[in-house]
Amino acid sequence: MRYDVTLQRCGLSAVFDLKGAADALRNWAGDMLPPLPDHPNTRTGGGGVELYHIGRKHWLARAPLAQEEVLEAQLKPDACPAEISIVRVSDTLSFFRITGPDASQVMAIACPLDLHETVFGADAVTYSELFGLKALVLRCEGGFECAVEQSFGDMVEDYLTLSCRQKPV
Amino acid sequence: MLLIPCPFCGARSESEFIYGGPVRAARPDPNVVSDADWVDYLTVVPNPLGPVQEHWWHARGCGEWLTIWRDTRTHDIVEAPDEIE
Amino acid sequence: MRLSSRLTTGGRINRDRPLRFRFNGKDYQGFDGDTLASALMANGVRVTARSFKYHRPRGIVGHGPEEPATLVQLEGEDAAGNCPATAVLLREGLSARSVNCWPSPGFDLGGVAQVLARFLPAGFYYKTFKWPGWHLFEPSIRKAAGLAPAPAQPPSSGHFEARRAHADVLIAGAGPAGLQAALEAGRAGKRVFLADEGSEAGGSLLNRTLSIGGRPALDWVANAVAELCGMENVTHLQNATVWAYREHNLLMVNERCPEQDSILERSWRVRAGEVVIATGASERAMVFGGNDRPGVMLAASVQAYVNRWGVAPGKRVALFTNNNSAYAVAADLAAAGLIVTAILDSRRHIPQAALDLVPDLPVHPATVAAGIFGHKRVRAVLAAPLSGDLAKWIRCDVLAHSGGWNPTVHLWSQSRSSLRYDEDLAAFLPDSAVQNCRAVGAAAGDLTLDRIVAGGADLPYAIEPLWRVDVPVQRGRAFLDIQNDVLVSDVHLALREGYANIEHVKRYTTGGMGVDQGKTGNINIIGTVAMQQGVPIEQIGTTTFRSPYTPVSFGAIAGLREGTVLLPYRHTPVTQWNVDNGAVMYEAGARWQRPGYFPKPGESLQEAVNRECRAVREAVGVYDGSPLGTFELKGRDVPRFLDFIYSNVMSSLKPGEGRYGLMLSDDGLILDDGVAFRLDDHRWLLSTSTGHADVVNQHMEKLLQTEFADWHAMITTVTSQWNNATICGPHARDVMQALGTDIDLSPQAFPFMSIRDGMVAGFPARVARVSFTGELSYEVNVAPRHLMALWNKVMEAGAPFAILPVGSESNHVLRVEKGFLSLGHEVDGTVDAYDLGMGWVMSKTKPDYLGKRAVMLRRAGGATRRELVGILPQDPNRQIPEGAPLTPAGCKEATEGLVTACVWSVVNQRWVGLALLENGHARQGETAHVRLQDEVIPVSITKPVFHDPDGTRLRS
Ligand SMILES: [Zn+2]
Repeated sequence: MRYDVTLQRCGLSAVFDLKGAADALRNWAGDMLPPLPDHPNTRTGGGGVELYHIGRKHWLARAPLAQEEVLEAQLKPDACPAEISIVRVSDTLSFFRITGPDASQVMAIACPLDLHETVFGADAVTYSELFGLKALVLRCEGGFECAVEQSFGDMVEDYLTLSCRQKPV
Repeated sequence: MLLIPCPFCGARSESEFIYGGPVRAARPDPNVVSDADWVDYLTVVPNPLGPVQEHWWHARGCGEWLTIWRDTRTHDIVEAPDEIE
Repeated sequence: MRLSSRLTTGGRINRDRPLRFRFNGKDYQGFDGDTLASALMANGVRVTARSFKYHRPRGIVGHGPEEPATLVQLEGEDAAGNCPATAVLLREGLSARSVNCWPSPGFDLGGVAQVLARFLPAGFYYKTFKWPGWHLFEPSIRKAAGLAPAPAQPPSSGHFEARRAHADVLIAGAGPAGLQAALEAGRAGKRVFLADEGSEAGGSLLNRTLSIGGRPALDWVANAVAELCGMENVTHLQNATVWAYREHNLLMVNERCPEQDSILERSWRVRAGEVVIATGASERAMVFGGNDRPGVMLAASVQAYVNRWGVAPGKRVALFTNNNSAYAVAADLAAAGLIVTAILDSRRHIPQAALDLVPDLPVHPATVAAGIFGHKRVRAVLAAPLSGDLAKWIRCDVLAHSGGWNPTVHLWSQSRSSLRYDEDLAAFLPDSAVQNCRAVGAAAGDLTLDRIVAGGADLPYAIEPLWRVDVPVQRGRAFLDIQNDVLVSDVHLALREGYANIEHVKRYTTGGMGVDQGKTGNINIIGTVAMQQGVPIEQIGTTTFRSPYTPVSFGAIAGLREGTVLLPYRHTPVTQWNVDNGAVMYEAGARWQRPGYFPKPGESLQEAVNRECRAVREAVGVYDGSPLGTFELKGRDVPRFLDFIYSNVMSSLKPGEGRYGLMLSDDGLILDDGVAFRLDDHRWLLSTSTGHADVVNQHMEKLLQTEFADWHAMITTVTSQWNNATICGPHARDVMQALGTDIDLSPQAFPFMSIRDGMVAGFPARVARVSFTGELSYEVNVAPRHLMALWNKVMEAGAPFAILPVGSESNHVLRVEKGFLSLGHEVDGTVDAYDLGMGWVMSKTKPDYLGKRAVMLRRAGGATRRELVGILPQDPNRQIPEGAPLTPAGCKEATEGLVTACVWSVVNQRWVGLALLENGHARQGETAHVRLQDEVIPVSITKPVFHDPDGTRLRS
């Protein structure tokens, strides 16, 4: 059916993959990043940068694409110590936004997670599945944001179009 | 479709995981162990009727390799048997 | 218009909304609120089906999913097979046809065969139609005895959908007990998922005339539904069957005709904290001669047709029962103006409360039905006193029978929770739960309304079981399973032939195996077995309750997964360019859509491939190598980790250098071949084959997280962060220069197997000198956002050198000419590096690495190995199919190898191939023989390389 949602295929974000012990990461990049989230699968934000804690000793830093070069210059992936890993992965993720009154119904088609607000709150972010593919899932204003590996972007667009009987904008 | 407890994410649908086989004996030092013991290490896989400890990878999730005890008769995820821990 | 059986008043139908429908080619009319069954009954259609095996005429027996007799096939838009007519909601324009009969149930050619064949006893199929003759019988058996055919086309409009849901409480069934449970949970603020298979809530109350607190029970239902509707935390679905109870409280729900436009069916996978099973009970049949004749119906169903649909299944009804519930039926029928000609009760002592309900009706205690007069319609029932007194015929046009009630324990049992046999109810009841679930209401054995809802008034239940009628005067066949035509005599035969276990009896007789899964008859089969073996019924037990509870269409399970999204697919930024430039696209591993080849108009595959290969060998080509798996590794222990997972030494690499290697599993199998580059002291880049990227990732992560958790190495997948255009051929360096780069391209500064960061054509790039074609190659990696722009510049810069895009077909030819491995071709679970002539990759210096000991052990056995060789067909124009076997001297003997690849070599102008051949390395120069079905092809054995054996070109 045609759900009351807006689908949006988003452009690139600046995304950096951060791995290692929290302390080591704080020592290297603490000044450039928002405080590290305390809980698994939650996020923090500040200075235009969001930090997603999406695995054990694993974070994603995300910012508007315009900040990519600045962030790269600050984080210095090539120069960071052996204890931590920083890799630019901006191109790796294709982001989609599903917003509107029926957004959670569309997500129920795509994703096995319980996304009820009592379980998946405003600061929640996690890797899960979208149409059977590994995907980052988080809330955004009025709905949900999801990201899949870039090569699957066309397929997910196809699938979302079928789910909602409308094309993304 | 099981509900598998991930130490990082909490309980998640089995569809997010990839099965990694039962937990096997520790890898012996190949330069010390006999041929027969090495072959046993490679080929003898726990396959009990009852609780078995197994690896699962939260591949479409946080990426954690975790272990659970699963009762092969019921699919129930159970506590580790007393004699193990 | 004949609406002969419709009562003038009553029923939950909308008489202002008539609906036209077709059944077996004839037009009829019913009302909104009808099922196909109630509408047919209202139209006086009494013979609605032919039976599965004997093609006996059958009518409508039940009123819900238990219906064993009338299965229909829906035609047109919503074509579907094997639907019980009782479960098909009437809609305008519905068209249906009976299954199992041709040309119509009234005149059925299969029924003529019944006269000839007489009898098909239990196990008939197993005994008769078996190997080697089965294929002779199969088509005609399937046609004569089969159920409805699958629809030829998917629905032309509308689609299926599959969803997930999560709930604190899932409640299966919206009868009084389910509604009560939903109200309690909903008021407590829990997330409630209430699903009911019927078209409206109320369950059995819809079929009866009960009261709650002195008011009609359906008022209570309406209030409950309204209150639930007002709760945001409650999802309430009708026409939604909970059909499976899986592990960890996952339940499958199939919702038919959801309110939304264009959705045909929606399936739900619901994960629930707690499950409440409020699935009610279903009435079971009595087993007596002629119990399958049209007009022999379940008592509660007759009651339902009268009360819910305002239809009289007959004018003169006789009842046959062993329990109290039929008395309430009789009272309702009499109140609706039907004539009740007799109530036959097998019990000697009938509870007074039951008799009080029917003070004016003729009750015959200790009397059973022992036969039916009438073929296509009941005309009389033979009432046989158990005392042995003279049996007599009693006129009736419907015989309504009740063998008691079975709590609907399907979901309960699917959850693996246990059952116990209850002597008082003569039924199996939920016992102890093993998942977080509970049964309530009739499903838990509380069969009357007073036990479920406060203020509910109902006749107390009492039963004396009668598993089958067994009196000397009995006449006609007594069916245990009407859908599968299983007779009492079939069960006796199965027992005589040694099938004593109830599960074996089921399979041997097919009793309980139909679309209805024996909802009305299974208990009688169990009872019959118990009687015959002289043991209590609980000792026989039940057969296993399996999902689905009622049939589910495949479409609902698949959801949206059809057409273009049937399987996942992956694109690179160049995919669209490939399509636009005429590439033939197909999947080439790990879901990537890749160009196979780029034919010009009128060009064959072979011509296109030859042209692309010549470009690479003589000038320059470019291909999109983006799908190769790419991983960045970081950490102090990466060198020792790589030395452990690759068979050769990687730790000695200097920054900027790379090395080809084999990755083995510990049992000696080749997992992958790829290249490891060292970027700096602690950063490494692994390039894996496309098809094994995920497996390699899993392998590395498992080792690092489980076995070597103290090793410090971190892995980041960058397959889609670095896409590449691989420029290959003698002019590759010229093209690179034309693109413009700050990287020194000289072979001294940037040799084969090294990697450099720099700018190429104005883009930040990471360039690797690897070669999968055997020619000078530059793998130019850029961010995917730049790949298309880079690609255009490559085509432009390469134009003076006649650059061509190269597809995967040409890549295959080029790698075979060089004898480079392809994991799916030359490598299977038996092949090791030595067999491939790559002993050099197995480190002699490392004391341990994955797979070392296993390979050594296997080789120490001294068995003959199949080894990689090149083959040249002695006729240079003879192509050999890939996979063709090699046999000693071409004789009809066990194979000594196989051809793994065979291609037309543009440099050699002949067919060349690779093969795995026993002792192949020692047999170079000899002749081997490919044995095809009707031809033996001699081939010369060579080294597995047909071009530039010293590798001067790729190092140039
Ligand atoms: Zn996890």
